[in-house]
Amino acid sequence: MTKIDEQSILRRLQDPTMKRRAFEEIVNGYSRQLYWQIHYLLQNHEDTDDVLQNTFVKAWRGIDNFKGESALFTWLYRIAYNESLTFLKQRRQMTSIDDEDFVEQADFVADEYFDGDETENLLMQAVSTLPTKQKQVFCMKYFEDKKYEEISELVGTSVGALKASYHIAVEKITAFVKGREM
Amino acid sequence: MSTKDERILNPDGGRYPFKVSDEYFDHLTARIMKQIPEEDVKPRMQALSYQNEASGKETKMIDMNKGRHRNLWIRAISIAASLLLIAAVALKFIPMSTTSSPTETLTAEYTDDDYNEDLMTYTMVDNMDIYYYLASDETEEDL
Repeated sequence: MTKIDEQSILRRLQDPTMKRRAFEEIVNGYSRQLYWQIHYLLQNHEDTDDVLQNTFVKAWRGIDNFKGESALFTWLYRIAYNESLTFLKQRRQMTSIDDEDFVEQADFVADEYFDGDETENLLMQAVSTLPTKQKQVFCMKYFEDKKYEEISELVGTSVGALKASYHIAVEKITAFVKGREM
Repeated sequence: MSTKDERILNPDGGRYPFKVSDEYFDHLTARIMKQIPEEDVKPRMQALSYQNEASGKETKMIDMNKGRHRNLWIRAISIAASLLLIAAVALKFIPMSTTSSPTETLTAEYTDDDYNEDLMTYTMVDNMDIYYYLASDETEEDL
């Protein structure tokens, strides 16, 4: 990942002649990281690609309002998270499902971007049944080994609530797997 | 936890079992930047014009702040004109503490024509509605 000098970028964003170039550096520096964060929630390449592009278009429209009060990635992450929620909501409306936390249980074997074995497929199936918040916390903790404090800053939820969400997610995954064994 | 779930939920975490080619990420920035409109870079023009997608022509937009300031001025002048109108009507009709009748006093120093002329001068500057209203009153009186 390209190292981002946020102070330099923020300075250049103020200059109309350098703004676009500075924004391009943001896209270049954060798109890969953001891609996986969105993929954790949507678990599909095409959907992730769409939401990622929307995220940066929205970020460009709102970049003048970004005052550097949070880290640039935190700001982008929150746009991405909201865009993902909007996407999931629209998908639920298209399938006429009212339950906010309902996620269609996926089978990833046929997904050309899936790079796991049978056990990992089962794990991802279990993860796909989690509500968005639990999915978000579980993936950051389990796949990235992020610290709770770090996740807390990123998602704006207390460490205690995150620990509880992770614990519930693990319980649900365990129950899901046991259910499959029977 | 037992058997399969122990292997699934490794205490040290696990690998996210998806991959995307480097080629996708190599072209991603360029693809995203294509969606960022060039004209947005122009600081002032961003608010005053936009590219019409259908015709490809630049469409001018009204500067709403400018209009807002103008509206404030019109409102202030209208209020001032209304106050003048009320003051003028009050001077004409409220009895004064003199021996002569108010009409006589006023007509001696300040004729109806003067009154109407001043009234027009103050009100017609920026408030055409009041002007038309007074004009119609004058016609009725004349009749």
